[in-house]
Amino acid sequence: MPEAIETQLKKGVLALCVLALLSKADSYAYEIASQLAKDIDMGEGTIYPLMRRLQSDGLVETYLVESTSGPPRKYYRLTTAGRESFAAQKSEWEAFAKAVNDILGAAA
Amino acid sequence: MTRAEFVTRLKRGLAGLPATTIADAAADYEAHFDDALAAGRTEAETAAALGDPDRLARELRAEAGLKRWEETKNPSAAAGAVFAVLGLGAIDILILLPILMGVIGALFGFFMAGIGIFVAGGFVFSAGPFMDPPGGPAFAILGGIGLMAAATALSAVTGLVTVGLVNLLVWYGRLHYRLLKPAIEPQA
Repeated sequence: MPEAIETQLKKGVLALCVLALLSKADSYAYEIASQLAKDIDMGEGTIYPLMRRLQSDGLVETYLVESTSGPPRKYYRLTTAGRESFAAQKSEWEAFAKAVNDILGAAA
Repeated sequence: MTRAEFVTRLKRGLAGLPATTIADAAADYEAHFDDALAAGRTEAETAAALGDPDRLARELRAEAGLKRWEETKNPSAAAGAVFAVLGLGAIDILILLPILMGVIGALFGFFMAGIGIFVAGGFVFSAGPFMDPPGGPAFAILGGIGLMAAATALSAVTGLVTVGLVNLLVWYGRLHYRLLKPAIEPQA
């Protein structure tokens, strides 16, 4: 079942992708959700429980930015622990992806 | 689904949590609808892209329950965490329930035994010396203290085991819904 595998893979890397986006620039949930929905086709609502978990794990923190239209917008930024976790997860991912690619390359 | 319907269902799913938690979560999704509207999407499209509000509420609820357990290791937080994990459907309740009953029963038994031995120790300690015990009054006093210490140790170990078991369940529940359960299931 290829879709099943794909879905499992996406779930596993979702938090990593969020950390990666935030490592480039602070962002707000809608922006993160729509980008990930576009790139890896995830349900947009998923981002909110995930952000809450990252926040309670101390990897991200929030701050409010006044907006000209409507209420202030909640931005997320990485904490120091978040940066460290991202660096560690990124190198783990790269090692894993390389191993998989090597095997796939050898099989082709 | 309209925006109002989505938010109503989400709030209903979060009922029982602290009011601020519910308000925070609702505000997140309200802001999402605002942003989506500004980007030219309809309420129905946005709600469909967000996914099932009941499921999202269960995940948020579980997150809140597990966090409370990590912060305050007390019996009510433990119960909350256990129910939050069950609510995710991460563990089949029909499989878990008999095991859980057995484990809770055994832990309860250990605690009761601890209390019983402590009371018995207290009795030996306080009444023993006046009952002309074998080995003399000092023996009864020391014996009583020894029993009470043993009971305290038994209760403490049982407490640690209980905390460990709940942690294990929480760990399993989180692992399950993070990686295995539909976090990104295809949205109907």
